[in-house]
Amino acid sequence: MNFTEYAALRVADIRAGLLKGDFTAHELAQAAGDAYQVMDGPLHAFLQPTPGLAQARAEALDQRIAGQSCDAANRRQKGSGTLAPTGQARFTDTVSTGNAFGAHTNHSLLPNNADLRLAGVPIAFKDNMNQLGTRTTCASRMLENYESTYTATCVDRALAAGALPLGKLNMDEFAFGSSTESSAFGTTQNPWDLSRVPGGSSGGSAAAVASGITTVALGSDTGGSIRQPAAFCGVVGFKPTYGVVSRYGVVAFGSSLDQVGAFGRSVGCVAAATDAICGRDVRDCTSQDSAANFEAAALAGVEQGIKGMKIGVVREYLSLSGLEAEVIRALEDAIGHLECLGAHIQEVELPNARAALSAYYVIGPCEAFSNLSRFDSVRYGYRQCGANNLNEQCERSRAAGFGPETIRRVMLGSYLLSSGVYHTYYYPAQQVRTLITQDYQRAFASVDALLTPVSPRTAFSFGEITDPTQMYLSDVFTIPINIAGNGGLSLPVGLGSDSGLPVAVQLIGPQFQDENILRVAAALEARYDIERLAPLYQRLLEAKGEDAYRVVNKRQNANERQRVDEKGMQSNNNERCCPAGQQHLAANNPDPENERGRAKDS
Amino acid sequence: MYLSENEVRDIATYTRIRLNKDAVREMTVYLNEVLDGLKPITQYQLEGVEPTFHPIAGLVNVMRDDVIHPGFSQAEALANAPDEQEGQFRITPILGGEGV
Repeated sequence: MNFTEYAALRVADIRAGLLKGDFTAHELAQAAGDAYQVMDGPLHAFLQPTPGLAQARAEALDQRIAGQSCDAANRRQKGSGTLAPTGQARFTDTVSTGNAFGAHTNHSLLPNNADLRLAGVPIAFKDNMNQLGTRTTCASRMLENYESTYTATCVDRALAAGALPLGKLNMDEFAFGSSTESSAFGTTQNPWDLSRVPGGSSGGSAAAVASGITTVALGSDTGGSIRQPAAFCGVVGFKPTYGVVSRYGVVAFGSSLDQVGAFGRSVGCVAAATDAICGRDVRDCTSQDSAANFEAAALAGVEQGIKGMKIGVVREYLSLSGLEAEVIRALEDAIGHLECLGAHIQEVELPNARAALSAYYVIGPCEAFSNLSRFDSVRYGYRQCGANNLNEQCERSRAAGFGPETIRRVMLGSYLLSSGVYHTYYYPAQQVRTLITQDYQRAFASVDALLTPVSPRTAFSFGEITDPTQMYLSDVFTIPINIAGNGGLSLPVGLGSDSGLPVAVQLIGPQFQDENILRVAAALEARYDIERLAPLYQRLLEAKGEDAYRVVNKRQNANERQRVDEKGMQSNNNERCCPAGQQHLAANNPDPENERGRAKDS
Repeated sequence: MYLSENEVRDIATYTRIRLNKDAVREMTVYLNEVLDGLKPITQYQLEGVEPTFHPIAGLVNVMRDDVIHPGFSQAEALANAPDEQEGQFRITPILGGEGV
């Protein structure tokens, strides 16, 4: 499978192709490994690749599918049944990985009766999501050597659904930022233009998807950290309503604001990924039961359309200072498309949205201060040696372990929660939160979804915004719905006529009616004939010439040899299946479920 | 000016972050700038408005049966400890040394 074939596959294509036997999960894992090898050097989207984990799961999946096919053939021979329809197959699995911490997570590679809606889908996780066998660093020196002792529910569910884990992704330190520049391990580059930021805080997730290294990635969104990087990198990013996806195992930033969501190169991909990870989790008491079928909602948008749906636009947003002309034009184009689709456009007002940024920069830092107080240099995290007493050790460790933006946020939160100040800022911010929430409730009494910009501008250059308070403004359109708890999706609508960089629009839905968003997004997506894949791979091949081609061709030749071998005998040799760079990792990590390669450090 | 450098030093102490003189100066500028940006919050007419501490209205307590489930073992809890001794977290002295 070459890169073009690999990158063209969407979640539904992968599921169907695997079950039909067009390709194997093993080939998908190898194609992902090749893409990583070629692109992640200049991109730096990954902090820790996990090719061994991906290969192990791919092989288990291939064996299961092969077993299922044999069973079905036998049943057909006996006249007793057929293979389950595409995408609805349920498999059983007996592979055990023998992890040490089995008490907390189901570590079977493919759990019994798994609903394999992400079968064979390459996936990667923001590095604030715990995954056994990996380090979870939050892109911070504080957690540089922290090895996960359990797996986050969202990760666990994605893996149980058959996804292939490619690795852990770069981010702003502890998710504090909008550009991934605050990562302690180096910046991630935007695959559309390497001189520009990918957005943040889930910049690694957006870049990994936009470049084509992975099909799907997970991120977290506290004030726009999924939607803004998705917009900057020209991919779809979906933050569901707060509570739709469990936060268990995701390192907390703002506990009343954080929500996990998916990135993909199509609305259908993020819908399928969200279906796999959503729903109540006993380990997160704020998670909610979900009867939603996001993939069906997206399909309905394409097949049945959105005629008669009411879409709200916020006129006062368009006069906001700093909103670029190309973003306004993109929004107006989207309105035109929605009208062509038969939707009714209606103006709505969100009079208190202007206070959302202020409320966020009270609530967010306060919750962050509280959450990050756990880093005490005693139980885990960085410890500065040479202190005379525990207090000094804690102070020195936190000063050295946290980066500048993290220190700014916890200092701010600490002050805002201090006695006497609490009633000046924190309590009023929570009252303003009520007003903002009521604004959305009023708006959604008359419309099914809202259409707004995602970011006032397209991706900016590295170092262009050095004032932290100016950086905060880049989230002005995304923050209000974290305050109110609603879901939102960033939909790319092409390249800006001025910058030549991806521009996106945001769709927002009523709480727990995220299907509205997926339906409108899928219908709107079908109106645009745009490229979601950044041209990085092609550019690198042109720049590197034969060197880069050699890596890929070598892999393709090896694939061919592998197919010939497998006709004659069943092979379980993991090392032979790994690309050259991955063999090194595999050799250092012989246990695929205990893959703790060093985080890349630039 | 909302905060002086002395006040910022105090905030750093109870945030358990040791800042040097330059860092205190920079932090003072930053905090004053942010607090200026938070003015809208202090100027709102909010009398009678209930606060929202959680974005999802109507949440009720989630109860479960009191059933024993496996939790972290001692080894797992200690797996990332910077220092340990005899199955416990080892720390620097709580008493003694400067700053006590």
